[in-house]
Amino acid sequence: MSAPAAQGKRINVAAARRRQRAVEVWKEFASNRAGLTGLIILVFVIALAALIPLFAPPSVLDVTQVTSPQNDPPSLENPLGTDPAGRSVLALLIWGARISLVVGFAATLVSMLIGTVVGMAAGHFTGATQAVLMRIIDFFLVVPGLVLAIVLSSVIGPGVATIVVAIGVTSWAGTARLVRSQTLTVESRPYIERAWALGAGDGHVITKHVLPAVMPLVLANTTLTVGSAIIAESTLSFLGLGDPSSISWGAMLKSALDTGAATGGYWWYVMPPGLAIVVVVLCFTLVGRALESVINPTLRGR
Amino acid sequence: MLRLEFRDVRITYTTQTASGRGEIAAVDGVSLVVEPGSTVGLAGESGCGKSTLAVSVLRLLPANAKVEGKILLGDENVSELSWGRLRSVRWTEASIVFQGAMHSLNPVRKVRDQIAEALIIHAKGVDAQYKQESARTARVNELLEQVGLPKAKGLSYPHELSGGQKQRIMIAMALACDPDLIIADEPTTALDVVVQAQVLDLLTALVRDRGLSLIMISHDLSVLAATCERIVVMQEGRIVEQGPSLKIMRNPQHPHTQALASAFPVIGDLSSRLKLPTYTAPNAPHAEPGAASVPHESRPALAARDLSVTFSARGSGAVRAVDSVNLTCNTGEIVALVGQSGSGKTTLARTLLGLQKPTSGEVLFEGTPLSHKRKALKVYRRAVQFVLQDPTAALNPKHSVYEAVAEGPRLHKLDGDERDIVAAALAKAELNPPEKFFTAIPQELSGGQRQRVVIAGALALEPEFLVADEPVASLDASVRAGVLALLLKLKCELGLGALVITHDLGLAWNIADRVVVMYQGRIVEEGPVEEVLLNPQHEYTRRLLSVVPTRESPVATAGAPLREQALENDAQDGVR
Amino acid sequence: MSNALSTQDLVPGDHGTDEPPRASSWLKYTAMKAGGALISLIMVVLLGFFAFRILPGDPVRSLADGRRVSVEQMDILREQLGLNDPLLAQFWRYLTELFQGQLGYSYTYNEPVVNLIATRIGPTVLLTGTAAIISVVLGLWLGQRAAWRRGSLFDKTQTGLALVFWSVPTFWLGLLLLLLFGGGLQWFPTGGLVTAGTTETGLPLIWDVIRHMTLPVITMVAVVYAQYLMVMRASLLEEMTSDYLMTARAKGLREDEVRTKHAVPNALLPTVTLIFLTLGGLVGGAVTVETVFSWPGLGYLTFQALSAPDFPLLQGTFVVFSSIVILMNFFADLLYRVLDPRLRAA
Repeated sequence: MSAPAAQGKRINVAAARRRQRAVEVWKEFASNRAGLTGLIILVFVIALAALIPLFAPPSVLDVTQVTSPQNDPPSLENPLGTDPAGRSVLALLIWGARISLVVGFAATLVSMLIGTVVGMAAGHFTGATQAVLMRIIDFFLVVPGLVLAIVLSSVIGPGVATIVVAIGVTSWAGTARLVRSQTLTVESRPYIERAWALGAGDGHVITKHVLPAVMPLVLANTTLTVGSAIIAESTLSFLGLGDPSSISWGAMLKSALDTGAATGGYWWYVMPPGLAIVVVVLCFTLVGRALESVINPTLRGR
Repeated sequence: MLRLEFRDVRITYTTQTASGRGEIAAVDGVSLVVEPGSTVGLAGESGCGKSTLAVSVLRLLPANAKVEGKILLGDENVSELSWGRLRSVRWTEASIVFQGAMHSLNPVRKVRDQIAEALIIHAKGVDAQYKQESARTARVNELLEQVGLPKAKGLSYPHELSGGQKQRIMIAMALACDPDLIIADEPTTALDVVVQAQVLDLLTALVRDRGLSLIMISHDLSVLAATCERIVVMQEGRIVEQGPSLKIMRNPQHPHTQALASAFPVIGDLSSRLKLPTYTAPNAPHAEPGAASVPHESRPALAARDLSVTFSARGSGAVRAVDSVNLTCNTGEIVALVGQSGSGKTTLARTLLGLQKPTSGEVLFEGTPLSHKRKALKVYRRAVQFVLQDPTAALNPKHSVYEAVAEGPRLHKLDGDERDIVAAALAKAELNPPEKFFTAIPQELSGGQRQRVVIAGALALEPEFLVADEPVASLDASVRAGVLALLLKLKCELGLGALVITHDLGLAWNIADRVVVMYQGRIVEEGPVEEVLLNPQHEYTRRLLSVVPTRESPVATAGAPLREQALENDAQDGVR
Repeated sequence: MSNALSTQDLVPGDHGTDEPPRASSWLKYTAMKAGGALISLIMVVLLGFFAFRILPGDPVRSLADGRRVSVEQMDILREQLGLNDPLLAQFWRYLTELFQGQLGYSYTYNEPVVNLIATRIGPTVLLTGTAAIISVVLGLWLGQRAAWRRGSLFDKTQTGLALVFWSVPTFWLGLLLLLLFGGGLQWFPTGGLVTAGTTETGLPLIWDVIRHMTLPVITMVAVVYAQYLMVMRASLLEEMTSDYLMTARAKGLREDEVRTKHAVPNALLPTVTLIFLTLGGLVGGAVTVETVFSWPGLGYLTFQALSAPDFPLLQGTFVVFSSIVILMNFFADLLYRVLDPRLRAA
């Protein structure tokens, strides 16, 4: 058999195995009802947020173009009532989902990147590198994340990018800890010793053995982190660190408090953003837990 | 006294599998009687149902297990006991020495409290005195003394004790409430041969002195033969053979029993020298006539010169794991490096492989000192390959057999078609046809096949020498012979030399040309196998030989002199 | 390491010689942990300084944000704050002040930051301490029950509830409680530590404080206990498959004894670590809860410093908050060693 043919066959075999594994993972995931429900709701919310410009152009958010009365209770025309500027709360809610979700995902991406790289390095290397990295991880683990995020974002100045950085930089330590312990577990396995004995270097061990073993864990952790990042975003926005001109769920709640909607009994402006956060975060958590139990069957039923 | 009877017992586990609910019969129609005061050994490989049978006596099975048939303890059916009655039966009528004392003791409680706990629970009737702390203290001290531990050891936490000491604590615990029956489930599996003999000896002496019944469970026929009058062999949930120990050991009838017994060759028995059921070396004393020996040149391959490795141990300063070792291994020769765990043999192997830097001295390969520079090491590693102890752990569970075998050739960018190289390596390791195994992942293979994949991975680099660390220690007895035969065949047919590290003298007898005995980091004796094993010079070699079957004592017994030393030795077998 | 033939260890009559040297290793352990905590404290001090000097963004510009301040006024302000001095000189001043127990001077309150923090720290400790204790007790108790009855209705409702509470933003829950019980039903006061202008002392004062505390404490507990429940449940489930539980059952212990005497003490160990690791989260909760309920504590002070913005004050609260959490974690390490005998021998 010629070399290219062998190569082709090999790739097919690997791809088939991956496909088969993906189907298995999906089956296991789908058998977790809570996780599946969470996923369906999330897909729906994300689709809604992505497609909203088709139904409600950004102009509905323009305070100068409102036609409805201010703080109008829910009606047929405005199913969730209007805000203190007379805008539809429903439109605000769906438009707000865009920023909340984007910030949640972006901050998680930053957090996962730092966490995975630092965690793997702290697990793989020994000596001074490890000692220094461990100290840094420990520091970011114990330091109050929200307070540090407040400090960072108040110094850099309010804005969406600021919030992403502030959340990302303060939330990676947990992931790093997890990744490090997984790296240590993997590296204590004899197959790593076998790889060394076969003549492998750091690069081979990390990319071929450690990374594939760490990735599923990171993925499940990502889903869980998106949830907490969305809460962190709303908290920072609520404290006034968000971009005042953009609409997110946290910003809506802040304006509800600032304009007296909260104390004035305009519950339709206070409830929807909060409930939206709870539902979305809960869904991310359920999906994350379901993924975790697929990866680690011993976690079933947790 | 208590009689135990299993009457047509069938135990099934209901499991949730991908294809829906399934039922697995762990024990399938077992009938067995343990008469009062008798000792019965239950033999079999992992998964044969022997442990399930053992814990069913005290109804300790998990909730998904279903028991059919009758388990009679005295004249009570265990399955029908009320919870209250069951709890009072537990430990007072029958107690269990669990497998792996490491995990069977609560890590955050002092061991003497764990012994005393059983006394408190059962402080009723005649034992009501144990409600008083003073009576309990006295009893615990007495028990500790019986198992040969000073009473101060009772104040330890489990992690502060060595494996042998923990097992002694488990035995003391099992004796606490004076049960009639003791069930010992692989009580010595994780222990060294010498410590193992001491623990077994202690257990049998206590059982004999008190006239208790004993059910001993092990995969190791020699252990059972040394401690039990009768052996029952199980396979796949059924009893396949039973009879007096000596008969089972010497003259096994069932093929499965024969396979189990072959793992314990009698040292000095020429019919097992350089001979295994599936392969016989051309130069074996019992070789087929006409099997011409292929001559292979024998030149020094791997050598250690004055090699020392020192570890800084916490608290106790430096530990010399390897102490001024001089050793030469030749091509075309199998050298067995024998010693207990902790004797430094694994450290020596890792140092020879360049996985551990020596503190002093050097490793020579074909006369050239081993450099620790990355490039030189890589070249060296192509020539000297490693076979690890536990093939299940030595293969990345995510990689297919193809990827596992191709890992070496890829790292070294070998010339030639990768597919051919992998196929050839698998064929050499007797995995035929190789293509059938390419896409398998390790969990789809048996233990023996996995070890062959590891060996194939080493062979793919066409090494000149193999270092194998306990290559069969984690395998079931029935596949042990096959893997050893492969190593022997590779030597005889390809001239591949090997250093095989083992605690198993039988292995050395089966396949090695020379044997090197290591003790406390030093080599205390070395020479041709027949010379060292049949005429040992060093005290330590004799000690090792005293606990395996030999011509003098075909069934190993922990001899009297050993018992005298049990105390002092066991304390030293290291905290693992 | 083994040395199987030597006889040094177990000489009859010489009991206890092989006990591990606890006293000395205890010192070593403490010193190691203290060293780690000290490094973290130094990092906090450094970060507290450099975050405000090096990061992009001009504190004075942020300070002037939204106000009409001329360029000259901003320069004067810079001069006053010493921001025109070389960085090292500023750092040196910061350090020397810190060693004298000073954390700078608040722009907005015209008072030393240390004094402000000193008056606010009490209420925060009262609030978070109470909430923490209630959450730990509630979380651990529910968690171990849920784990032991895994799959039962109790387990499902408790886990479900915990997951929902875990997904609730603290401040929003606070707002709801405030609207419902403070504004609407008027069962509880809506803010502050005591009723404004109160002259009560003794028991009536304590009662007043308790009434003011109720809603903030409930808010914090609701969000925090859920994590403890989940951690306790997970680690007990992990322990439930342990071999030593089989030993305990074989000895004839009742199921509840197996749980309370064997499983729970072991499951507590990882839980304790995680509880202390989440202390930082508790502090975050303090910021939002105190803000919603105008609780005169450090968290509310942080919010005020942030809205001003008042950087010396913000820097001060950051340093103090972080130091408290680091110290608490240090004590947790010491406590952990008492709980887990395995650490003592290491």
